[in-house]
Order: sequence, then structure tokens, then C-alpha cells
Amino acid sequence: MHHSVSCLSYTWSFSRSSDGPTEPRMRNPSLIKEEFLKRWIIALRRCTSLKKNMNILERNKVVKLSADLAMASARNGTTSWSRALIANATRDNDNRILAEQILGPESEILVKRVSTMPFKTCNRRKIRSKRILKRSCSSAIRRVRKTVPRKVLANCIAKRLIQKRTHILKSLVPGGEFMDETTLMEETLDYIAYLRVQVDVMRSCTYC
Amino acid sequence: MNRALPEMLHCLSGPGNGTDITVLERQRTRVKWQHQEQQNYFVGNFQDLVGDGRCGSVLRHVVTHSVKPDPGFEMNSTITRTSSCPHTEAQVAPEAKGKVSEPAEKMSSTVGRESYKKRKADKVQNTKVVAEDDAKDKRSKVCAEEGESKITTEQTRTKNTTTHPNNRETSADTSRENSKASEVQKPDYIHVRARRGQATDSHSLAERVRREKISERMKYLQDLVPGCNKVTGKAGMLDEIINYVQSLQRQVEFLSMKLATVNPRLDFNIEDLFAKEIFPACSANFPTIGSSSEMTNPAYLQINPAQQMVACCGLEMGVNTPDLMALRRTISAPVSLPETYFDASCFTQLQPPSTWDADLQNLFNLDSNQGRSISFPSQPFTGSIEASNLKMET
Repeated sequence: MHHSVSCLSYTWSFSRSSDGPTEPRMRNPSLIKEEFLKRWIIALRRCTSLKKNMNILERNKVVKLSADLAMASARNGTTSWSRALIANATRDNDNRILAEQILGPESEILVKRVSTMPFKTCNRRKIRSKRILKRSCSSAIRRVRKTVPRKVLANCIAKRLIQKRTHILKSLVPGGEFMDETTLMEETLDYIAYLRVQVDVMRSCTYC
Repeated sequence: MNRALPEMLHCLSGPGNGTDITVLERQRTRVKWQHQEQQNYFVGNFQDLVGDGRCGSVLRHVVTHSVKPDPGFEMNSTITRTSSCPHTEAQVAPEAKGKVSEPAEKMSSTVGRESYKKRKADKVQNTKVVAEDDAKDKRSKVCAEEGESKITTEQTRTKNTTTHPNNRETSADTSRENSKASEVQKPDYIHVRARRGQATDSHSLAERVRREKISERMKYLQDLVPGCNKVTGKAGMLDEIINYVQSLQRQVEFLSMKLATVNPRLDFNIEDLFAKEIFPACSANFPTIGSSSEMTNPAYLQINPAQQMVACCGLEMGVNTPDLMALRRTISAPVSLPETYFDASCFTQLQPPSTWDADLQNLFNLDSNQGRSISFPSQPFTGSIEASNLKMET
């Protein structure tokens, strides 16, 4: 199915400037594909050099990991999801060595950059406290709900839906738990573009 | 009669050196002028002026909301602004200096539609009416800006009882934004303006900015995610996005599993890839670099894999060649596979290299260099021909 290939007519990325309105930058999709393929092949070669005769599960893991890290390193730490990907990969000790091998000499720089992102620890506390607050509030809201008029109720329901879905999206996008909504949208855009590229490249690999 | 006010203002501004006519004085002249005219006449005029699309939907917007009698003041004030608007061009020369400088200064504050000024002193007066549609053409810029600036000042005045804080505010505006060009926004502020008829406290302003940003990004996501056009509303679009991301992730998993099963050694024939889809412009006589690299392995058995990784990577990154060349290098970079690598399947893949470009010669020389030493990019391409001979023979 070439739908996704044809759809990848453009990719957007938002400028990272903090001031003024952010504007999307168009990136050439074939360039991205090239770069991804290049990095992926390198990563795969590194992996295969380390360990030959892997069983299928290991290979699967290797393929995915190398692809992820390839694309994440292509972004060079500009996007949050890429940083989160690398952080996740290097966190588990069993993957860590592999990941570092894949990333190669740039791994130290990247890992440093990723680990210096201070957002995770403080946000976790924030999020925990938010959740507690929400739970206490929701129990209060339930009591009030019966007396509330329909319009407001519909509004509440819509808000609830949106909140739930945002939460799901946050769980899907790597590193999404710690973002506010605006950045979440940007990151999803980038992440979707990357996923498309990955799918296209992998599909064309399987067909040859 | 429409020219009366501008001329009056001009007269006022004349002695006062033009540039310093304050808003208060303008209001005074306007009030005087209004008393001389009848309201109905203004209504008619106003409609005409609005119909003249020069000042655009900005004023239409204002008109639809401001047809109340109460503010004979308000109406007249809006009318006076619009009346002065189309005529500025006729009287550009004399008025330009007098009026344009001040509105231009004020206008620099209204240029940023999405500006949110955080000033602790005047939070209430911080709100300015924004026009939803952008009525700025180059030609009518002065006119529209004048109109808007006056609208904003007037509307704020109608909302707030006192005029003085507004004057203070606008003068503070002008003083703060005096140096700016009309196009430049202040870098450390995010400027927003409250729309007419909406809440004006800073929280809701910030909230609105946030919402607009999110909706802007939703629009881009709509383009990116197929099938999002039919659904409107945040929840539906979020649903579509979630489904899409999940399906893409599942596809990736499936494809990686497939690749893992199909390719036991996880090597890919890059030339096939290139030939097929990704690089259709690539030349067809791409010799089987992938397979021939395997043949070079016995020459490099003594190589430390780590160093080789470094080497390969360094080569690839340090050289400024087109992607194709870089890829060739990476492919041919020996991955120090042991002899067990040469099983039957490998040999079946081998084809005699059909053509040997000078590039490839250099490439393999480079490989042999790589094999011999560690410090690379500075190494000249001397290298022995043994490796290439080896390949030639097979």
C-alpha cells in the first residue's frame, strides 16, 4: 500500500524559538529518508558486529532499537521525543551497552545532553501532586453533578474526553508525559513524520 | 464634512508641532465636532465608509457591535475614525507627519495581534480591542492602522471610565515602542489582545493564546494525518491522531519482526533499495558492494572491531561527500566478520564486479587503509592494492 509513501509529501517541524509565533519549517522528506536509512544501516552493522547469530527476538529488538536510535540521533536532541527515546534506551542496563555501541562515538555527547534535561524529576513530582488533586476534585465534582445544567454538563463531558485522549497521546509519544499541550502537539507532529519515514524505509527494505 | 475633523485636528496639531497631539486633545476635538453633526448622517456615512472595503472587516466588526445609541460618543468616535481613514491618503502630505508618527508609534503596539503585555500597573487597562481579520495592506496600512489605533484607544476608553489611565497607557505605549519599527515585535513579550466582547483579564488572555497555539498545531496535524479532515473538534481529531500513531507503531513492530525473520544476518542490499524506490536516480551499475565487502573480510581479521567501528564512523562522518558516496563507504566498511560469515548463501550472492569506477578503487584503498591503521581522516589514499586484487579475483 503506497498510501503512506504518497502522503509523505511534506514534513513539518516547528522552529524552536521561544519568542514570537512558531512557524512550521518544511523538510524535504527524501532527505530525511536518506539520513534515516544511512544511520540505520550503520547502527545495524554495528549491532551485527557485536553479536552474531542472534535469535529472532534479539534481532527484532535490535532492529527496532537501531531504527529508533538512528532517527533520534538524526534529530540531534532538538526534539523532546528523541531525547526521551535515547534516555529510555540507555536507562535499562541490558540495553545500555548495545545502545551505546549503536550510537557510536557520539553517544557520550548525546547521553550527556539527554541526561542534562532536568525536566523529568521535577515534573514527576508535579504530575503526582496534580493527579492527587484531580482525584480529590473529581470526587467533589461528582457530588455537584446532579444539579448542573445540561450545557455545562456537556462541556464537562467534552473536556473529560479531551483530557483522556490527551493522556493517551502522552503515553504514546515518547517523553510525552512531561509536556504541556502545546509542546505535545509539536512533538506528535515530529514523531508522526518520523514514524512514517521509518515505516516507508522498512517496508521498502522488506520488499527487496 | 468628513474632512472637517481631520482639518480640525490638523489645525490643532499645527501650532502644537504636530507630533505631540495627545489623545486627549483628539478626543476634545472630536467631541466638539460631533456636537455639530447629526447622528443619522454619521450612520449613513459610516456604512458607506465601511462599504468602502479599505478599512476592511475590522471596522465592519466594530460596526456590527457598535450600533447602540448610548454611546453617541462611541459611535461618533468610531465614525470619526473611519471618516478620517480614507482621507488620509488624500491628505497624506500635511497629515502624515502629524498623525502618522503618533499612530505609527501606537500602531507598533497593535501590530502584534497576538501580543500579551504583562504590566503589573495596568492590568485592567491592558486590554485592547483586536480586530480579528487582518486589514493591513501596504497601501492602506497607514489608514487601517490609524483606524485601528484609534479604535483601540476609543474602545478601551469606553470600557474604562477614566481617560487618563488610557492616556498614560498609550503614552507609555508610545514611549516604550517608540524605537520599534512597526513590523517588529518585542522579543521578550508575547503580545495578545483581547477580542471585543470577551474577557479581558490576563488569565483568559493567556488561555486564549494557548488555545490558539494548540489549534494552529491541530491544523497542521490535520494535514499530516489522513482522514482528519472529516472530523472537527479537538476530541475527534485527537482520537484520529491517536489511532494513527498507534497504527504506525504497530506497523513498525510488524515490519521489524518481518525484517528480523527474513534477514537472518540483518544485512540489506542497499543497491536494491536504491534502485527501487528511495533513490530512483541512482545509477544502475552499482556493483555489489555489499557482497564484495564480505570478501574483503579475511584481509581485516586482525582488526579490532571497536576501532573499526570508530573508523567506519569517522570516515563516514568526517568526509564531506554526497550521501551516495557516504553510503558506499559505510557499506563497504568491513565489519570484521569472522570466517563463519562466508557460508553458502553468501557465495551465491556474489557476482563478479562488472565495472570498477575510479571511485570504487579509491574506496577499497580507503578500506585497506582503514584496516591497517587507526588514525584516519588524515591518511592519504595510498593504501595497497592487495585488497582490491583479492576482490577482483573472485
